[in-house]
Amino acid sequence: MLEVKNLMKRFRLDNKTIKENKKKSKEMLDRREQGHWFNAVVDVSFSCESGEVLGLLGPNGAGKTTSLRMLSTALQPTSGQIVINGDDVVADPLAMRKRIGFLSGTTSLYHRLTVRENVQYFGRLHGMNEDLLETEIKKVFDLLDIHSFADKKADSLSTGMKQRANIARTVIHQPEVIVLDEPTTGLDVISAKTILDFIESYKGSDVPVVFSTHHLHEVEKLCDRVVLINEGTTQFNGTLDDFRRVSGTGNLYDVFVKLVDEKEVA
Amino acid sequence: MLKVYFKELLELTRDKKTLIFTILLPTLIMPIILLGFTTLSVKIAQKANVETLKFAIVGGDYFPELKEVLTNNESLKFSLVDVDKSESVNELINDSEIRFALVISENIRKDIDDGLSGEIEFRYNDSAATSALIYKRVNDAIDSLKVAELNKRYKSIGLTQEQGEAFSKPIKLVRKSTADKRESLGEKFGALLPYILILVGLSGAMYPAIDLGVGEKERGTLETLLLTPVPRFQLVFAKFAVIFTTSFLSVFLSLISFALVTTIFGPMFVNSMGAEASKSAGEVLETLSTVSITDVFLMFSMLVPVAAIFASALLSVSIYARTFKEAQNYMSPIMIVVFLPLILSILPGVKLDWVWASVPITNVSLAIKEIFKGTIDMDMLFVIFASTTLIAGLLLALCNWWFQREQVLFRN
Repeated sequence: MLEVKNLMKRFRLDNKTIKENKKKSKEMLDRREQGHWFNAVVDVSFSCESGEVLGLLGPNGAGKTTSLRMLSTALQPTSGQIVINGDDVVADPLAMRKRIGFLSGTTSLYHRLTVRENVQYFGRLHGMNEDLLETEIKKVFDLLDIHSFADKKADSLSTGMKQRANIARTVIHQPEVIVLDEPTTGLDVISAKTILDFIESYKGSDVPVVFSTHHLHEVEKLCDRVVLINEGTTQFNGTLDDFRRVSGTGNLYDVFVKLVDEKEVA
Repeated sequence: MLKVYFKELLELTRDKKTLIFTILLPTLIMPIILLGFTTLSVKIAQKANVETLKFAIVGGDYFPELKEVLTNNESLKFSLVDVDKSESVNELINDSEIRFALVISENIRKDIDDGLSGEIEFRYNDSAATSALIYKRVNDAIDSLKVAELNKRYKSIGLTQEQGEAFSKPIKLVRKSTADKRESLGEKFGALLPYILILVGLSGAMYPAIDLGVGEKERGTLETLLLTPVPRFQLVFAKFAVIFTTSFLSVFLSLISFALVTTIFGPMFVNSMGAEASKSAGEVLETLSTVSITDVFLMFSMLVPVAAIFASALLSVSIYARTFKEAQNYMSPIMIVVFLPLILSILPGVKLDWVWASVPITNVSLAIKEIFKGTIDMDMLFVIFASTTLIAGLLLALCNWWFQREQVLFRN
């Protein structure tokens, strides 16, 4: 189980922005900018049970990627807690990395290595022994239909192939939590379907999957729970059915727009 | 950490640019400099010595002997061109119609007869690469005239030629160098060697550093790597070790190529150059080949911490940069920072002492020169090694600190 409690992340603004902000009136400033600091994530809390797929929604700049980067341990939270199966991620990020699989638009593969070499490399860095690694590679390559391009260099692959290989890299070490940041962005329908099917295969398993997306039909198809982050705070946290009920129409698009608009007015 | 190190090396060997900068360039630079430039300069000198030089004489009637000397002997290879006015010769020289002109003073005969110096003006274009050689050929050609006039003078006062020479030079300062051939050559060539080796070391580190730092950032593989359960200091150290390896490999290949050129290929090559050229080039190579294996090892040992300095400094800059382009912009100032101490080491009066031994780059450059000359003080080597290693260690610590900072890793 994954639990995220009152997560906060603040970044120091660069000097140029601080200078520019001094010239702006209070109304023109981003609500999350305070003096020399920018609160990218103000207060985010949610949980995801094992075998559950949680959809993370929010407009651009809402703080989704920063939140997910904290889950992955790439960034350290300013405050708050991330707990995986009872263990605090923030307290010992190095050890917890073995238990997390993370993919985002900024986590790529080594272009001059083949897909197999890439996946082997990351498996080894996660401390997997060679026998287990080879077994897992076969299993994951089967699931993601990678065998036909497994020995091609990553830079010769199409976007869809790269993303499938990247997902193989993400899950090769059998993580306890999978975190995917917009995994289908820029993919064709077939590649996106392969990835969505792969995510779906975790439903009912002992692994919680958190994935952010702008495609509401993916949420509709996959998610048990939905969290909407806006301006760095959790604006909605509930089941898909609860989410549908917010607008009264049952249409996810209407709900999304309604919630985001409400926040802007506030 | 070793897994990261070997993976990075594997990836670099699959990159053409890295192979060019770390293997091809360092291997070829010594043969190019030692053999290529030598051949070129010898060929230019040979051509200047044997080509027929067109020239003009202005005021030839004032001293007809000059024309006779220069035109009667065909082996001198001078070809006289008729010129009307002395003013036009400058134009002819600058237009390369003639290579030089001799303008004879109206009073030349009278001045010589009166015991003064008769003046002949040698007009030439100083910007021509071979102007010094042409001057020497003319000077040598009219030597017989000078000697004849001098002998006339000695005779008029009742002196033999030998007495006359002693008469004109009552005190003679005879040069006798105590330096052996290697030391003497080392003074001239020894400044060039560290210059090449240090710059080769820098260029060997530069591209891999950019690739392993900001290159990974831009390609998105750095974040992937940061998500693995490998401590960040190990990642830094593995990357540092790869850059250090490429830098040192470049230097190693340069020195190996230097050794091969001086001992094997050089002599073969020199023998094909013609008698006179092969004699002088052969002497140079023979002297260079007296640099022992121990000397080469000492040079290596000096370059180890230098390669470490380059690796850690370049990796720090590369990690800090947002983009490949930004990193490349930082490389020019770094080149200047390396050039300045290198230039210091070739300034007159800068010798390896306790003060200079603590100035990074300059100290190694001076030490290599001294090793090359065979006059190195071993105590100095220790000081240089210690101070350079300390700087490399500090830079590596800075790089490690840099690598722990989110503001640096995620500057974008």
